Amino acid sequence: MESHRVLKESQIMKIHYITGIAAIFVVAIHILMRLIVPFELSLEYDYIIANYKNIIYVLILESILVLISLHGFNGMRIILLELRQTKRWENMVTVVTISAMIALIAFGTRTIILANGL
Amino acid sequence: MASGNINKVCPSREKILMKEIEQPSRNNLEGLKGWLNPTRYGWERISYWFQRLTGVFLLIYFIGHVYETSTIVNGQNAWESFLELTQTVWGHLFLIMVIGASTFHSANGIRLIFTHAGIGLGTPSRPDYPYSPSSLNYRQKSGIWIALILSAAAMFYGFNILFGE
Repeated sequence: MESHRVLKESQIMKIHYITGIAAIFVVAIHILMRLIVPFELSLEYDYIIANYKNIIYVLILESILVLISLHGFNGMRIILLELRQTKRWENMVTVVTISAMIALIAFGTRTIILANGL
Repeated sequence: MASGNINKVCPSREKILMKEIEQPSRNNLEGLKGWLNPTRYGWERISYWFQRLTGVFLLIYFIGHVYETSTIVNGQNAWESFLELTQTVWGHLFLIMVIGASTFHSANGIRLIFTHAGIGLGTPSRPDYPYSPSSLNYRQKSGIWIALILSAAAMFYGFNILFGE
């Protein structure tokens, strides 16, 4: 069964660490974008729409979405696999977490694309 | 084939009979109860516990945040009416918890990456009385304290931004 795995757990852990470290940097930029202007102003509709029209910031938002979804749902998978160790449970947890991750990335990307066109 | 026996192929392609390993009993697992019980453990276990709790909390927040920001595509009124729900005292207190959780999760996560790479574990030594493991040394403990102090400082900064005038 092991030979059928796409990635080894050690490779998945490396991805987990890389996405975690990368997320710290992009989230820091995202928070700085809220702090370079007064906090209340940073949440105003026109300011947010202007953010979504800045292509560099859009790329940062998309990378936050992908990195945190990968890191977060893989973390959830690890926690759930610590609770029970059967092949059926492992397969179910893997399918559910990957599906949820894809759904969240798709939903967030839809917001970014639509807000960019407003 | 006899019940309870399975064939296993050796690297030399020779088939051998092996006794089937029974499914391990789950009686020794405490599940969530054991996971959430910090009373029998030291700082390392509490840090393990916090890392998972903050991780799950931040994932829930992230899903909520992606949903919250999606309201902007429905126009200014939809955005402002949803924002009113979050721009309250409780909403700000929740954000301060998010700031604290994300800072702890990041700082402690960096410590865990170093630990996984073997950095800061110390050299193995004979387990003499009082049997303190060399891997749980002052470097690990200071890493946990640094994560907690950074988290408190970030929460204080967030409090000043959200509640300060």
